[in-house]
Amino acid sequence: MRTNWSKTSLALLASAAMGLGATAQAADDCPLPGNLRVVIGSTSTGGDTYQNSSIVVDHLAEKLDINAKVDAVGAMAGFRALERSRHGNTVMIFHDQSYLGNLYGVNGYPDIFADYQIGPTVAINPGNAYLVPKDSPYQNLQEIIDAAGNGEQVRVAIQPGGVSEIGFSALKNAVRLQYPGQEGNIVAVNTGSQADKNQLLFDGAVDVINGSVQANEQYTQLPEDDQKAMRFVWLTAREDTIEQTNEAGMGDTSREQLLAYVAPNVSVPMNEGADENFTFDKEFFFLYNKDMDPAAIDCIDNALAEIYDEGGIQEQQKRSFFVPDFKPSAEAASYLEQKRDQYESIIDNLDG
Amino acid sequence: MDILSHLTPLFFGLIAAGTLIGIIFGAIPGMTATMAVAVCLPLTYAFGLENGIALLLGLYVGGISGGMVPAVLLNIPGTPSSITTTFDGYPMAQRGEGERALKTGIVASIFGGLFSAAVLFFFAPVLSDFAIQFSNVEKFLIILLALTVIASLCSNMLMGIFSGVLGVWLSLIGTYSIMDGGNGETRLMFDWMEYHLIDGFSLLPVLIGIFGLTTVLLDAENGFKDEAAQGPISLKNGKRFSFGVFKGQLTNLVRSSGIGTFVGMLPGVGGSAASVLAYSQEKNFSRDSSQMGKGAPQGIVSSESSNNALTGGALVPLLSLGIPGDSTTAILIGAFTLQGIQVGPLFIGNNLDTWYLMIIALVVANFLMFGIMYFAIRRIAKVVEVPKYILYPLIIMMCVVGAYAINYGIMFDVWTLLIFGLFGWVAHKIGLEVVPLIIGFILGKSAEVYFVKSLESYGNFSIFFTKSPIAMVLWALIAVSLAFAIYLRLRNRRETRTTTVS
Repeated sequence: MRTNWSKTSLALLASAAMGLGATAQAADDCPLPGNLRVVIGSTSTGGDTYQNSSIVVDHLAEKLDINAKVDAVGAMAGFRALERSRHGNTVMIFHDQSYLGNLYGVNGYPDIFADYQIGPTVAINPGNAYLVPKDSPYQNLQEIIDAAGNGEQVRVAIQPGGVSEIGFSALKNAVRLQYPGQEGNIVAVNTGSQADKNQLLFDGAVDVINGSVQANEQYTQLPEDDQKAMRFVWLTAREDTIEQTNEAGMGDTSREQLLAYVAPNVSVPMNEGADENFTFDKEFFFLYNKDMDPAAIDCIDNALAEIYDEGGIQEQQKRSFFVPDFKPSAEAASYLEQKRDQYESIIDNLDG
Repeated sequence: MDILSHLTPLFFGLIAAGTLIGIIFGAIPGMTATMAVAVCLPLTYAFGLENGIALLLGLYVGGISGGMVPAVLLNIPGTPSSITTTFDGYPMAQRGEGERALKTGIVASIFGGLFSAAVLFFFAPVLSDFAIQFSNVEKFLIILLALTVIASLCSNMLMGIFSGVLGVWLSLIGTYSIMDGGNGETRLMFDWMEYHLIDGFSLLPVLIGIFGLTTVLLDAENGFKDEAAQGPISLKNGKRFSFGVFKGQLTNLVRSSGIGTFVGMLPGVGGSAASVLAYSQEKNFSRDSSQMGKGAPQGIVSSESSNNALTGGALVPLLSLGIPGDSTTAILIGAFTLQGIQVGPLFIGNNLDTWYLMIIALVVANFLMFGIMYFAIRRIAKVVEVPKYILYPLIIMMCVVGAYAINYGIMFDVWTLLIFGLFGWVAHKIGLEVVPLIIGFILGKSAEVYFVKSLESYGNFSIFFTKSPIAMVLWALIAVSLAFAIYLRLRNRRETRTTTVS
């Protein structure tokens, strides 16, 4: 019997540890619960969303003197948890996928601007990248655009319906602008995780993959005769964003080298006049329940403002190749809405 | 040496604490090694990388091993990869041999764990290069090979296949997620079900429902009058454990550990496939497998050595490619990213100290798991002596808590537990075979993803046969596995007839 009793006790303790139990209260002037659950839109604890959220949430918990835990529940479960949390016990941290999923019409992705409150932005991951095998005939992105324009099929491994697809859409749009009617030669091979995309490249089943500086940089250091060796051809981040990263860059690739893969060094025209290049910064921000207490929103805004003023978080984010990017809720909401509209037009161009 | 400075009491203390907590997590139905690692992941930030990894590896090894306890004693797989442990462990426990079954499992577990740690240490970079030769086509064929176990395990071939297909069908309810490269559209449900079923039925609630709750319901239907009259199962009735049980099991141990390590190396194939595959190969290729499924220690040996061998195997792609081999190592990678360290093809060379410490932690965790479980098992095995009218309400409570907690507090998972508990009861009544059904359910989704991805990548069906020599070898193994299953079935039928006639 003792065995069963101890198992049961542990189960209850574990549930409590996961934030299913207590409801203490934070400071009086801040109507946040003492136990804050932060769900993220990714199920991975090895990815950038978890990493960045952990950094921000640790600082926030310390500043507000509350317990906060990041739960990697994924997008759908995260949105639902947010819907259920009117009193601010649960908040969400996610990135541009949250509205891009809606723009691409992915099932289960609501219009976040209508259904939730947009919270502050906290960081940019400037690492969204496109890579080819090291021995690929394509030396740069323009050669890929030209190849597609000249009737060659170029297969690109992406995860559909979000951050991974937006660069693909821009690439397709660039082919459409330079070689009208040939954009169909840029073909998406839909797949899932980064491991799956890498594997498709190793198999020779695709010509280009979407990846990231963080996850793929070590592969770019391998010798050319290694089946796993890759090369960057494009980083979607703005030049200005990459310039804010650590000078040392990532791994054995310096910031200077990374700058060679961003616009204007890599040209992905966005419109007919080719006067503007496509760029995309993957930004992380908070999402709240529509009915969340404005005082609680202000409380998080103010706490984060203080944290970013103190400066320690910036160093930590930069060490992990994030670019600190704090915008309070109101500013973040209008900024992200504009950003959404901009990418909507690219997607519409292709659909049309 | 720098490495010696990390071998502190804290380092070993964290391995011990992790192993113990992991065993407890694994032993509670519905709580898994993955959950243990996820819950403790944020702690590692404070401990630093080396000590944090020591804790997580202890949790990983303990969690996988602890899964055998409810599998043997309660017929509920503590983790999905201990499903095949129930096949022989539970019948043994019912004969009063719970302690013998568990000790057999523990010895097999440490063998599998150390085998895979050795493989990881000596061959990681070479094996990861081999693992990437397995594209979606080969991964689909591995899963197909694991599915052939259905032919060996069912008592009625036609009903077994039907149940297996039904399991696959149930696994496809939900969406082909965009996270897997699908379109994210719901299927096999009505619109009003979408809210709850968009991600399909969760594996753990289904598993503990169909095994745990069904057992409770079936026993409750019979009532406990017999037990009240005769008393509960006595541990003194059955055979006692001796190392003699491993006589003639070396091939089984090595083959099953090899299968576990290898399947662990293939990202996305999943731990359950390893134990199912190892079990089916033992069933097909051992000299005498007639008692498997009825309480044969060899079944526990194959299941437990293979699922513990996953630990080292899954770390191969993690540490040499930066790609997690299974769901637990997918969380483990978070310990590195939280410290700002990227795991990739250069990781081992650039972080030799961390690499050696991980191997040490893995080996120590296996020995600690053995020490803790081997000597505690006598007391734990006494669970079966608890009268069922006391034990079953507690089991139901644990199942409910586990189901609710598995996805961080989703009530529908508790309903899933109930639905599949009732479904399992009905399945028994109408003659559906539960084991093939659950194997179909576990493997169905991966089979679909790899099948569709193969077609998307290569565009034709013939690729499944012509992709590579590995694919052809896998087809040969599938054919041999099926042929053996049919041959054994015919031989058993002949022997049964001869016995009846004589």
